[in-house]
Amino acid sequence: MNTPRQITTLRAAAVISSTIIGVGILSFPRYMAIAGGSSAPFVAFCGIVISFITFWLLASLCRRFPREPLFVFSRRLLGGPLAFVFTLLIFLIFTLLTGLTLRQFGDVATTVLYKKTPIEATIFLMLLICQLSARRSIIKFSYIHFFYLPLIIGPTVLITLISMRNIDLLNLQPVLTMPSVSFWRGAREASYLFQSSFVIILLVPYMQKPKQAVRAGALGIAVAGLLYLLIVIASVGLFGSEETKLLIYPTLESARSAAVGEGFLERLDALFIVLWVISVYTTVYTTYYLAAVLLQNLCNFQDQRSTSTVLLPLVFITAMLPSNVFETYTWSLTLGNVSLVVLTGYVALLWALFLFRRFRKKGASG
Amino acid sequence: MQKQQSCPPSAPGTDSLSHSLTGNLKSLLNLLGQSGDLVVRDFLLFGKYQASMVFFSSMVSQEQIQEHILKPLMARPSGHPGFTDNLADMVHYIWNTAVQVTQGTTEQLISFLPPAIVKGELVLLIEGVNEALLLDMRQIDMRGVEQPQTEQVIRGPREGYVEKLENNLALLRYRLQSTDFRIEISPLGTRTQSRVALCYLDSVADPQLVAEAMHRISIIDTDSIIDAGYIEQFIEDQPLSPFPQVQSTERPDKTVAALLEGRVAILVDGSPFALVVPALFNQFFQTVDDYTERFIMGSLIRLIRLVALSFSLFFPAIYVSVISFNPELMPTDFAVAISGGRAGVPFPAVIEVLIMEVSMEVLREATIRLPQMIGGALSIVGVLVIGQAAVAAGLASPITVVIVALTTIGSFATPAYNAAIALRMLRFPLIILAGMFGMYGGMIGTILIINHLLFLESFGVPYMSPFIPGKWRDWKDTLVRVPLWWMRRRPSFLHIQDSSRLPASTPGAYADQILQQGGEADEHSKADHNAASGSRDQ
Repeated sequence: MNTPRQITTLRAAAVISSTIIGVGILSFPRYMAIAGGSSAPFVAFCGIVISFITFWLLASLCRRFPREPLFVFSRRLLGGPLAFVFTLLIFLIFTLLTGLTLRQFGDVATTVLYKKTPIEATIFLMLLICQLSARRSIIKFSYIHFFYLPLIIGPTVLITLISMRNIDLLNLQPVLTMPSVSFWRGAREASYLFQSSFVIILLVPYMQKPKQAVRAGALGIAVAGLLYLLIVIASVGLFGSEETKLLIYPTLESARSAAVGEGFLERLDALFIVLWVISVYTTVYTTYYLAAVLLQNLCNFQDQRSTSTVLLPLVFITAMLPSNVFETYTWSLTLGNVSLVVLTGYVALLWALFLFRRFRKKGASG
Repeated sequence: MQKQQSCPPSAPGTDSLSHSLTGNLKSLLNLLGQSGDLVVRDFLLFGKYQASMVFFSSMVSQEQIQEHILKPLMARPSGHPGFTDNLADMVHYIWNTAVQVTQGTTEQLISFLPPAIVKGELVLLIEGVNEALLLDMRQIDMRGVEQPQTEQVIRGPREGYVEKLENNLALLRYRLQSTDFRIEISPLGTRTQSRVALCYLDSVADPQLVAEAMHRISIIDTDSIIDAGYIEQFIEDQPLSPFPQVQSTERPDKTVAALLEGRVAILVDGSPFALVVPALFNQFFQTVDDYTERFIMGSLIRLIRLVALSFSLFFPAIYVSVISFNPELMPTDFAVAISGGRAGVPFPAVIEVLIMEVSMEVLREATIRLPQMIGGALSIVGVLVIGQAAVAAGLASPITVVIVALTTIGSFATPAYNAAIALRMLRFPLIILAGMFGMYGGMIGTILIINHLLFLESFGVPYMSPFIPGKWRDWKDTLVRVPLWWMRRRPSFLHIQDSSRLPASTPGAYADQILQQGGEADEHSKADHNAASGSRDQ
């Protein structure tokens, strides 16, 4: 009764959106404020544009091979050994990314919410549910994202809008500042949040209309991007850029300032954290799934079930490696830089080879 | 009047019947063994030939045998035109002209006789004839059709299934008088030989679904099927899941509605429950009342049921995590009141809630098994123990009692008993997780449950459809129930062959006409009426 091509464009977009909206929500406005001051929203916007360009490069390539996953056609374009090296690199990137994301999550949970709960327990629980759900097929994977996305977006937007009642428009002016080095660095950092849109490579072979991969990604990135923009506007508008720079989790602070119905729910930040747990889960789930599938391809296994189990201790150790919050931050920044180079380079290389082959084929036939 | 020639052409051998009545009887009784209700009745057929009837007195109607078999067979039909003394033709003569029975077969193999006798057939053996006549005289007394105990409705049919398969199939066919309605019956269980009926609508149900259901039933290899529940456990997709993946119902009307949606129903002889597959999550909070009442009421009540359902699952966990980890979520005054109530309680909130929830479950289980007279007394004791006394003794705080009561009542509001149990049991791990990790733990538990629901399938249909995955138009009958005339299509997730319920072109109801014509319908009809009266005047 099941046909393999089941993922609709909307569902693919939901996967990308809920993947992107993740652990970064809480601290994102701070980085943007540091990079651009009052033009923080504009920095974020530039970051979104950058990430869309990289995504477009990837998705439009995948679109040309609607039946094969990236690993298969890259082997054809690059040759076995080189493709293996790149797959290995990307696997390492996503394993590290999963670990560091989990660590960031654990840091927030222990500093803000549960000061007495050991960080290992927090991280391990999250890792466990990711591992359990990573054993399932890609179709079920898309179900999960599609189900949780409204639960993430709805309340987040609602809480942000409530907190925006006290916004001061003066804090957001001037909207545009001269792009400087720090401006572009901030935009680049913003684009790191969107790197896990790489997941489209898993979806394309299962999409009902693989030709719409780019459209799905555009929709997904737009939704997530708008949410991030909204959060930045809310935080910077509420606290001013200088104050936002000092807050570790500005979004949480702005949620804290929101109250509903004069005492019905006094503080929304705990509620916000609960929803944030879902968004972290969907993000980590995606990167974990990606890492498991990449490992499966490296080992030539039938499916990713066994590799997802192998991955569990690996990711857990990665998450435990950084000794404090700042190390986590610098590490993930470095990882972001590396993966920007590797992913974009890989895709650019594939594009070049693809175009070269097509050119030669045309030359041969004509 | 049908005569089934089910037996294969007899192969001469030890298995086939001989011409000697005593020899046949002896080997037949050997096969049947000793039994108190086994009757062998010898008589003179047409006053001439030695003959014997063998049957179980507990399975047949003895008056019917007297009236329609013994009476004509013992009479002397010598004056009858078609009568011959030819022994070879005797069996056919008896079947065609003498006995007045609707179903029967002839049989030449002796090993085929005992199973038939056990089923309630009567075997007639005649001296000098190597053929036996099997006549279906089965009659078993059963309770009458009563109101279903587990699925009460306010408005709707009052009939429920009984144990006998024929009666249940009659209840179905009487509601679904269509040639499309197909029933396939096959015996199951090597010892019990329970007859299992698979019902579906031929032009609606997905042939693959029917084939899959048939396949899953056919591969069951067990010695006994006592109830439909046995079959459910053999055919469900995921036996380890707490959630029911097969719907069981006592109501013929509900079964018919499911068949009309393109589902498949399975009935077993001896069980007053029908199984309906595929069963999806949203079926378990729907009742017949949702459809028989007007749609606004139906939708509102369904929403309330959903609230109750989430109460029964999440409420205690939320309470525990808020009390022990995030008291700042509550308004200050309320938090002060709660901590005042909890002042004398010696346990942490999670232990307190667990104790109360477990004792509530014990109380609930105890009331179910008790006769109704004692049940009332027990509930009074329960109220005192769980409510008043526990608070007075300092075992629990008043707010905990409120939470436990809401949880239990919430779970009673879930119409499907088995789904309610699943949710009620799942709240315990949630409470423990919430007690260990607060909101975060509760969230992790909830994600696990939701993921599990999203991964489940029932006969290849995702359990959470039409929510995930699904089409928007299938949402008309999920959280709310839209007007019947708006549900023009059958749900698409069942891959039905014929999707239209109402013709697409015609308006479904009077209200629909008004909606489409923008309120002009009244004026039209008034104009028509005027014209008509005008013409009458002339």
